Amino acid sequence: MLSFLRRSYLNFSFMNPQYCCLSRNFSAALPPLLPVQLPSRMETHLWYVVPDEVKSAPLLSKYMELLPQSERDHVLGFRGDQLQKSALLARTLVRTTIARYQVDGHLDPRSLRFKRNIHGKPEVEWETKDGFCPPPLQFNISHTSSLVACGVTINSLIGIDVEEKRRRTKNNILAFAKRYFTAHEVEHLNAIPDSELQQQEFIKLWTLKEAYVKALGKGFSSSPFNTFTIRASSGIAVETLDSPQNLTNNWQFALLELMGSHYVAICLERQETGGAGKTLPIKLTARKTIPFVEDELVSGTNAVVTIGGSVTQF
Amino acid sequence: MASITRASVSMPSLSTSVNQSQRRISGMNSVSFPVSGRSMIPSLRLQRGLQVCCACQAKQETVDKVVAIVKKQLALPADAAVNGESKFAALGADSLDTVEIVMGLEEEFDITVEEESAQSITTVQEAADMIEKLVEK
Repeated sequence: MLSFLRRSYLNFSFMNPQYCCLSRNFSAALPPLLPVQLPSRMETHLWYVVPDEVKSAPLLSKYMELLPQSERDHVLGFRGDQLQKSALLARTLVRTTIARYQVDGHLDPRSLRFKRNIHGKPEVEWETKDGFCPPPLQFNISHTSSLVACGVTINSLIGIDVEEKRRRTKNNILAFAKRYFTAHEVEHLNAIPDSELQQQEFIKLWTLKEAYVKALGKGFSSSPFNTFTIRASSGIAVETLDSPQNLTNNWQFALLELMGSHYVAICLERQETGGAGKTLPIKLTARKTIPFVEDELVSGTNAVVTIGGSVTQF
Repeated sequence: MASITRASVSMPSLSTSVNQSQRRISGMNSVSFPVSGRSMIPSLRLQRGLQVCCACQAKQETVDKVVAIVKKQLALPADAAVNGESKFAALGADSLDTVEIVMGLEEEFDITVEEESAQSITTVQEAADMIEKLVEK
C-alpha cells in the first residue's frame, strides 16, 4: 500500500522537491477540516481552489491518499503534471467540501462514496443506515487548469461552469456560434463591434449555457446548445425553443467574475419566489480554500464580483 | 502507428483510390470497404497473423487527421504521443475544446455531427470511426 503511494507521489513530477522543506510538515496526520453548516434552502455555497497556490508536494500526496483507487487511477490517467494536479484538486475539493458539512457526524472525506445518475451526473451515495435520512445535498464541480470550483446547495439542482476570461476559441466566434448557438445569441454576439468584448461575451454565454445543462443533469445531448437561448439583458434567463413564449422560470442564474480572471456561471433550480412570481436573489457565500490549510471567506470582497443575475453575497 | 495485425500495405491499384477524397471510397463498386475494418477482402490476406485491409489504410489516414486536429486544438507539440486510443479528456480537452474539435472534424471531412454522436466520442479512434460512418452516407 505504502509503496503504491510512493509511486503515485513520484508520478507527480510537478511536485518540486524544494518545496518539501519550506512547506508545513504534512508527514503527520492532516489537521481537521473546518466544519461548516449546510447551506439553508435559499443559500448557495461556492468553494474554490487556485491550483497555482497549492505547491506543497507532501500536501498533494496527502490529497491523493484521500481518494479511492479508482479516482487515483483517473487522476493519473491525465496527460501531464498540470492536468493531473487540477484533476486531483477537483476530487479533493469535492470530497473535502462535502465532508465539512458533517452529514451524520462524518468528517472524513475518504469515507464519501459517489455514483452517477442515469444520465451520468455525479451524486453522493450516502450510506443507508437505520434512521439516517440523507440531506438533499446538491453539488456540481467545474475546473480549468487555473481554477477548481464546487457549488453546493440544499435541495436545489445546481450546475456551475468556470472559464478563464481570456480563453480564446480556435475557431472564429461567429462561425462557432452559428453552428452551435441559437439565432438570438448569434445576433447578440454579432452586434458587439469590439472583438475583445465579443470574445468575453462569448465566454460568458458559453459558461451560462454549460451551467444550465449541468444543472439539468441529463447530459449534453438532451439539451443541445442550439435548443435554448440565454437572454442576459436585464437579469439572466433561459428560453427553450420549444416553448418560446415562456421564459423558463424554473431556473435562475448568477454570473460572477472571480479574482478578475475568471467567469463563474451558476444555474440553480428556483426554489421559492418572493410572492407574485417575483424572483428572490441568489444568496451566495463564496470561500477560497486550500483544504486542510486555509479557508478564506471572499464573498462581498472584490475577489467575487457579480456581473449578471440577481445575487446577494454573504 | 499501425499494429502488426493491421499493417498497411500499399497496393498500387487500390491505394490511389484510397488516397483520393474519402468520399470516393463508398462509390467504388468493385471492391467493398467494410466499415468496421475487421472483415477482409480475401485476396488481400497475405498470411496468417498479418491482416491487410484497405479500410484500415483509410482509417489510419482518418486517425492521423483527427490527431492533427486534436493537437492543434489542444496546442500539443507536434511530437506529442497521440494515437487512436488517446482520450480527449486525458489530453486536457474540456467541453469547449471537444466541441471545437468536432467542429474542426466537420470542416475537414465535410460532415455534420449531431450532438448525440458528439457526446459519445471520447477517443481519437471513436472520432475516426464516427467520421467513417458519416462519410459513407
